[in-house]
Amino acid sequence: MTRGFLAGLGVLLVALALYPAVATGYGLRVMLQLFMWIALAQSWNLISGLTGYVSFGHVAFFGMGAYTTGILIVKLGWVWGVAALAGGLTAAGLAFVIGWPCLRLKGPYFAISMLGLNEALRVLASYFEGLTGGGYGLSLPTLDASGPIYYAMGGVAVAVTALVHLIVTSRFGLRLMTIREDEVAAEAMGIATFRYKLYAFVLSAVGPGIVGGLSARDHGYIEPISVFPIVTTITMIVMVLVGGKGTIWGPVLGATLLFSFQELVWSHFISLHQLLFGAIMVAMVLAMPRGILGALRQRYGLPRTI
Amino acid sequence: MNLVITPTMIGQVVISGLLAGSLYALVALGLGLIFGIMRVLNVAHGPILMLGAYTTYWLFSTVELDPYLSLLVSMPLMFVLGVLLQKLFVRHVVDAPGLSSLLLTFGVAIAIVNIAQLAFTSNLRSVESLTGSFALGPFAFSKARVVACGFAVGITAAAFLFLQKTRLGKAMRAVSQNREIAQVCGINVQRIHMLAFGIASALAAAGGSLVAVMVAIQPGMGQVYTVKSFVVIVLGGVGHYPGALVGGLLLGLVEQLSSLFLTTQVNEAVAYIVLVLVLLLRPTGLFPGRSQ
Repeated sequence: MTRGFLAGLGVLLVALALYPAVATGYGLRVMLQLFMWIALAQSWNLISGLTGYVSFGHVAFFGMGAYTTGILIVKLGWVWGVAALAGGLTAAGLAFVIGWPCLRLKGPYFAISMLGLNEALRVLASYFEGLTGGGYGLSLPTLDASGPIYYAMGGVAVAVTALVHLIVTSRFGLRLMTIREDEVAAEAMGIATFRYKLYAFVLSAVGPGIVGGLSARDHGYIEPISVFPIVTTITMIVMVLVGGKGTIWGPVLGATLLFSFQELVWSHFISLHQLLFGAIMVAMVLAMPRGILGALRQRYGLPRTI
Repeated sequence: MNLVITPTMIGQVVISGLLAGSLYALVALGLGLIFGIMRVLNVAHGPILMLGAYTTYWLFSTVELDPYLSLLVSMPLMFVLGVLLQKLFVRHVVDAPGLSSLLLTFGVAIAIVNIAQLAFTSNLRSVESLTGSFALGPFAFSKARVVACGFAVGITAAAFLFLQKTRLGKAMRAVSQNREIAQVCGINVQRIHMLAFGIASALAAAGGSLVAVMVAIQPGMGQVYTVKSFVVIVLGGVGHYPGALVGGLLLGLVEQLSSLFLTTQVNEAVAYIVLVLVLLLRPTGLFPGRSQ
């Protein structure tokens, strides 16, 4: 990365850190959501963009984190920061349990398993009423913590992006990308493909878990429908596809672009949301499968670390 | 929750399971056909089923067409839609890495669901045509389910006869076994792909028309069937078409048996647990096919 880019990034981060001092409540909330989407999109990129194993149910980890955090706060009185970290841990645990059977096989097994996982979790969350409040949901004690949650959410977004940077520039990342390009060849080269896929998957669940917990604290109320919506997964995927899957800054770019559009324009056409997302997904796959950054990288021979 | 389980209850559950399973087999056969021939997992299979169900509802509520006669409309309609999907979109990603076709059909799936929401609203619809049940000894059979099972068995049998006996069916199986060699033998692979997509979508539509009489119709009803059909394929063994039949019946049985102990509310979770267990214990399916 050039010095100018690093300097710009530093200035941006400082500006974002100082933002709460001047922000309105609404502005703070908007930025907080943007951070959430960056963290979610980047996490999806970590597993699907780098290894080529597409996850259709990544919101399951968001919901897992939300419920873990909610239950720990309500039933055990934990501090929300610690409870959200615990949410990240249980999400990682869930990823391990699901990834173990589903990532051993090549092909679409993983994708469709993830599609089912989200449905299954939502049903189970409604079923175990004693723990989760079932369909009535779970109300968290009131607390105004927008400021701290802003920093926590931003911290997760930065951490996941830094993690992806670290992975892409490491041997681990090279292994993942080899799996994506040709898994059989990767195996022939002696890469323990199952193990590295599983590592990537477990890592990709931590961010959504923490973010889910923070979001639960922020909203103060969770119910099965609100924390396991498939549209969240769809949004993550579209953000990454637009920005460029398998790149470091693509998900950040995609999340910023799509979230801005969503706030400014699409919020007026809420009933057309999924149709638009579906159309964007089809168009990106057919016309620009590498996304904006991927296309620029190919055209101008940019390095892998963008 | 039931604490006492009598043999009659088990008999009843087995019958219900087989009745439900025949429908799963019908729908899964379509998904398996596309997957076997193109190696594309069509995530939009369930939403196409949903469109089939709406076709039946729409014909029933406007011109009071018998739901079972509406099969004659929904199946050709979805056949055309399937052919178009293949021709316009899927054709371009058949040989692309797995990610592309999954993402593409996923995009198509969510677009279809949204269009259905706009066209039909999200209100629950129902087709009240065949209610009540037959009684036979201690067992009761829902009329709608028995008739649906009959149609499912008939259509599935017809599809198998087509695959086994006709030249076109043989060509499809040839493409499924080895595309290059089939092409060298003079089979038009693109045409077979379109045909397969059309037939698969017609099978999904048949499933949709048949369940329309039994369950609430709403735009989001389809996705469950994509997952369940996939469970059936995995159970039966990928690329092993008769396996889909056994897989379908098995899934129906397991779901109904579990309803003895749990509420039917957790049905979806049951199918999912079956999937994870099979992948864990017997990833080649119960009846390993030729491929994978």
